[in-house]
Amino acid sequence: MATALKNRSQPLPAQGLDEFGTLYRDHVDLVYRYAHRLCGETEAAKDLVQETFLNAYRGLKNFRGDARISTWLYTIASRTCMKMRRKRKGEPEHELSLDEFVPTSEGEFRLQIPTEGLSPEEALENKELRRALDQAINKLPKKYRMVLILCDMEEVSAKEVGTIMSLNERAVKSRLHRARLFVRRELSARGILDENDHKSRSLHS
Amino acid sequence: MTKKKTATPHTKQTKPSSRHKAGRGHCLKLLRQLSAYIDGELASDICKEIRSHLGACPNCEVFILSLQQTVILCRHRPVPPLKSADRVALRRAILKKANAK
Repeated sequence: MATALKNRSQPLPAQGLDEFGTLYRDHVDLVYRYAHRLCGETEAAKDLVQETFLNAYRGLKNFRGDARISTWLYTIASRTCMKMRRKRKGEPEHELSLDEFVPTSEGEFRLQIPTEGLSPEEALENKELRRALDQAINKLPKKYRMVLILCDMEEVSAKEVGTIMSLNERAVKSRLHRARLFVRRELSARGILDENDHKSRSLHS
Repeated sequence: MTKKKTATPHTKQTKPSSRHKAGRGHCLKLLRQLSAYIDGELASDICKEIRSHLGACPNCEVFILSLQQTVILCRHRPVPPLKSADRVALRRAILKKANAK
């Protein structure tokens, strides 16, 4: 797959173009959704979609089909995102240690957010909660963010995420666990009210 | 919650009778296994031990619930769909750029 990505060759012949058309038509929504989750906003997500499919176009004729197409595209998008972000800003990449997630005061054990009696969809109608969740995810170092997005939002299996990120399954699960604890801690630190949520039913017990 | 038997030799418990009075140490040990627990990846004897700890330790019980809520919120966070006009424009831009080199 890596060699496929490096290959910047001639435009595809007509048959390849059809193939690309089908690839794009069938997978652009998946790539956009993933890109939007990684970038957190529309314009950057569109840039990432463009670069991802450009790389896919160049690598298409070398794609041997030994991985699922979605896995292949997630891989290209992840690598492209790493490259694009590195260019934009040298954000520091640090390791998350389990010790930092041990709550130190009573209030840190629970989430101070209005979810009681609500379905997840209803809870997420609360703008402030959506913003807090997005901010928590965006604050994650990117190697953790990618694993969380792939596993918990895109619902890709840990094994496949390992293929996408060139990690073993245990490493994927370890990163996922730390990423979840990080987001949990960020959310627990925010006192989110239900003031904007007119549909809420008895949120606090 | 569904439980699935998975070989996780490194998480094998050595003190099955240790109770919450083991205190913070026990909670820390649990913290390491929580994702595997909520994903149903631990062997049933370990799950049983965790459940008995949760029954005795309200803080851990609240904590695990908050982690589950976090995962559920992530799973349900919607993404605005790609607009049709953008879909067409992006495709055109990709092909233009690809054929330019």
